[in-house]
Amino acid sequence: MRVGLLPTEGKSTYRFTVLFLATIGILISSLPVVVVTIMSFSASDNTGFPPPELSLRWYWEVIAMFTQEDASSAQSVVDSTVTSLLVAFIVMAISTLVCIPLAYALARGDRRIREGMELLFTLPLVFPLVILGIAFLLIAESLRLEIGIWRIVIPHVALVLPFVLRNCIGAMNGISVETEEAAVSLGASPLRAIWDVVIPLMRAGILAGLIFALIISFNEFTITFFMYTIDVSTLPIWMYSRTVSSLDPSTLALSVFIIVADVVLIVLVDKLIAGRANLF
Amino acid sequence: MNEPPEKVADDIMEKRKMNKNISRRHLLATSAGLATALAMPSLVRAQPLAGKELRLLTWSDNTGLAILDHIAKPFEERTGARVIADRTGSTSEMVAKLRAAGDRPQYDVITLAGVGAVELAGDGLLGKPDLNMLPNLADVDPRFRTGADGHGIGYLLWTGGLIYNTKTFQEPPTSYAQMWEETHKNRLFLPPSTWTDALDTIFATGKLLGGDGTNSAEAFAKLAELRDNILTFGENPAQLSELFRSDALDIGGVYAPAFYAAELNDPANSNMGATYDVDEGFFADLMYTITPKSKPGDDEVVHAFIDFTLDAEVQGIMAEAVLNGPVNQKAVMSEAAKASPFIIKPEQMGDKAIVHDKSFIAEVREDWINQYNQTLS
Amino acid sequence: MSISLSRPRALAFSLPAIIAILPFLGACFYIFRFSISADKGVIDGYSIQAYVDLMTPFFGRSVWLTLKLSFVATIIAMILAVPLAFLLTSLKSPLARRCLTVTILLPLILNLLVQAYGWILLLGPSGVLNSTLKGLGIIERPIFLLFNETGVLLGLIQTSLPLAVFPIVSSVRGLSQEHLEAASSLGASHWRTFVDVTVPLLRPGLVGAASIVFAFNASAFAIPLLLGGRRVQMMGVAIRDMISPLFNWSGAAAAGMILITLTLIVLVFASWLVRVTSEEVRG
Repeated sequence: MRVGLLPTEGKSTYRFTVLFLATIGILISSLPVVVVTIMSFSASDNTGFPPPELSLRWYWEVIAMFTQEDASSAQSVVDSTVTSLLVAFIVMAISTLVCIPLAYALARGDRRIREGMELLFTLPLVFPLVILGIAFLLIAESLRLEIGIWRIVIPHVALVLPFVLRNCIGAMNGISVETEEAAVSLGASPLRAIWDVVIPLMRAGILAGLIFALIISFNEFTITFFMYTIDVSTLPIWMYSRTVSSLDPSTLALSVFIIVADVVLIVLVDKLIAGRANLF
Repeated sequence: MNEPPEKVADDIMEKRKMNKNISRRHLLATSAGLATALAMPSLVRAQPLAGKELRLLTWSDNTGLAILDHIAKPFEERTGARVIADRTGSTSEMVAKLRAAGDRPQYDVITLAGVGAVELAGDGLLGKPDLNMLPNLADVDPRFRTGADGHGIGYLLWTGGLIYNTKTFQEPPTSYAQMWEETHKNRLFLPPSTWTDALDTIFATGKLLGGDGTNSAEAFAKLAELRDNILTFGENPAQLSELFRSDALDIGGVYAPAFYAAELNDPANSNMGATYDVDEGFFADLMYTITPKSKPGDDEVVHAFIDFTLDAEVQGIMAEAVLNGPVNQKAVMSEAAKASPFIIKPEQMGDKAIVHDKSFIAEVREDWINQYNQTLS
Repeated sequence: MSISLSRPRALAFSLPAIIAILPFLGACFYIFRFSISADKGVIDGYSIQAYVDLMTPFFGRSVWLTLKLSFVATIIAMILAVPLAFLLTSLKSPLARRCLTVTILLPLILNLLVQAYGWILLLGPSGVLNSTLKGLGIIERPIFLLFNETGVLLGLIQTSLPLAVFPIVSSVRGLSQEHLEAASSLGASHWRTFVDVTVPLLRPGLVGAASIVFAFNASAFAIPLLLGGRRVQMMGVAIRDMISPLFNWSGAAAAGMILITLTLIVLVFASWLVRVTSEEVRG
């Protein structure tokens, strides 16, 4: 049983302070979402809070938007959603596949190299996205690239690398060299030992990285805003043009759908990769 | 085979002209049948542009949405062409994207504010539409037919004035001076520096002080008094509408009623009113449709679309939807739209309308935007 | 030691990730090159004019404001993140754990425009909070929590909180139970254990998380735009204004370089701090 971090019994000031601050944290994270969710069930046209009556009408409207939309005249919400999902899954796969070996190399390698590399792979997080967006756009245009969906995938991979790598390194930190040595001494080749021993132990960290990659790519707006084309566009872009023109409850209902979609994706990845609930 | 190159070129030109003539006849025929077509859509069999695509870039706000509903959709029904619309961005964001794309634009037609057209024309990125392929242009007020050195075709008149809270003001405010009233402290909004409306605001302040609007030094000194009174800059029209609805704002400007066609119709719920009838005058800016020099689509469909934006019926419907002034003098408007105080027709502009000298604005723009930022935020 | 990573193998393991980050490094170099371009709109010639033009009191204030707000937001986010991480790691029910995780991730998921709208309904001049306080007779005039530095601070804390919580969670998971048990069996109070044992052990993770949060906040631009009502001129906003409508792309690149340099200094300092303190701990 765990000790010390959050005592289970007693009325100590420590326990009170920890719970109090955590509650504030939860409120700050979730309050806007809670309000928006309540509003999306409003029965009225305007957005007075709290809503006088509740209904599902805006949800039916959103469902109609997905099912009955005629294909012409606008970026289609269905196409955008499909592109978003495709991009997010490719980004997730690539970033994880490249980060696992790197995390291993850094954890077992020279410490100075490790610090330098960690800093290098933190850079995408530091760069102001607006200027990065226009730089990617200018480069893509000047190289005259016709790369379809990869226009968006390539910058997204760079953006999620810091998150994925940090999670993978965090997972590697917990794995002692002895475990691996044991496998090797039992006759496994070093690569085999990594595959059979290290990677399963890294699973929680890998999973966390996957989910971060998925969420960030699926919801990324700023760089995509510069990189999307009229043929390859994503859901956040579609959502943006909608929210700018009208903030009615149907937009809020759509937001709730997106939240649900994200949560489903998270749970799905969790189930697929972790089998028996490893991450949370 | 051995013909001199000039001869070949001439031949090609000749053929092109013939094509143009044919297509123009088609177009004229279709627009003549317009009234019938509206009444009986099933009769529209001739779809001269079937199978062609047009890529349109327009605003992300409700004015862009109206273009989809009232221009792109009927255009598709009438011609059989397919309009793919990108509805993201403000004028300056569109200009940034088009500049970055250089000679490989994704779009065939773009609608934007005058400044944007002038900027892009200056960069040499725009094509000059063939006015002969735009028969509806004949009905357009001669002042608003073209701009940006022939690269832009007049589209609608964007007008800006004061937006006010109908709960606070029993009578519409009659001067921009109202914004300086102490009672509106923290209940005031101004346009963001990135919008042309900010330049209008500087101009209006100058006029308020008795100048001709170009007296910017005085105007900035006066605007500085507002610094601590502003609740927010109107970067997001929907956010402003929410703040008016919840009675958190009294007044603001220079801002366009164009965003609030629905709200202004329902002041009881939205608390929103708008007025152009201000001592210092209101602002009118011609918006354009433009087409990039190396556009992906073909000339015929591009011209047909631009011409369609000028159609008398389309202009009337758009004017009502986004409260912009129609440039087509024969614009067909409903009685309600004709009576609407928010839609300024060219002939109603009179001497109260301030239309900026584009070259003057181009000259001071950067400096004014910076000063506006530094004075107010 | 039987497991040693040969240099070629280390390189082979690192190569895919390096290839993946190359386009980004290309973009960084492009920005740097643009910042020393003699032309504002295209890369042409060399000049430091873009940097010289930035040396104004206005830009200076913007830099100061950016650093100040990012710093304060980081401190508060950390103060909230540590208890959240403790709570998250000590929850026993998997369902509760998942719900809490998703709740913390929400700000990363929901469109910022929509979140800003939620905040206006709550904290706006006539929002839920103000009308409640007015109804109770506590205030007469509304308190302004949005469209000023407070609003921006709130937004920064909210959006960066997930970035703080999850690295701390992994550090907490890695905490050695023996240390904590030893402290508790010696009869140390919870506060003593926290100050003397937990925090020093967590320090590398804490500093790492804080530096990410700081960097993330320093480059924010949607938050100051939406919750600051544009009145809070952080550098992200200034950079956006230079891109459009001013089309001063070399200036934007130069401002970007300055922002990155400042952030990197903070990051390097943080990683130095981790090294020094972890050496102390190892003693």
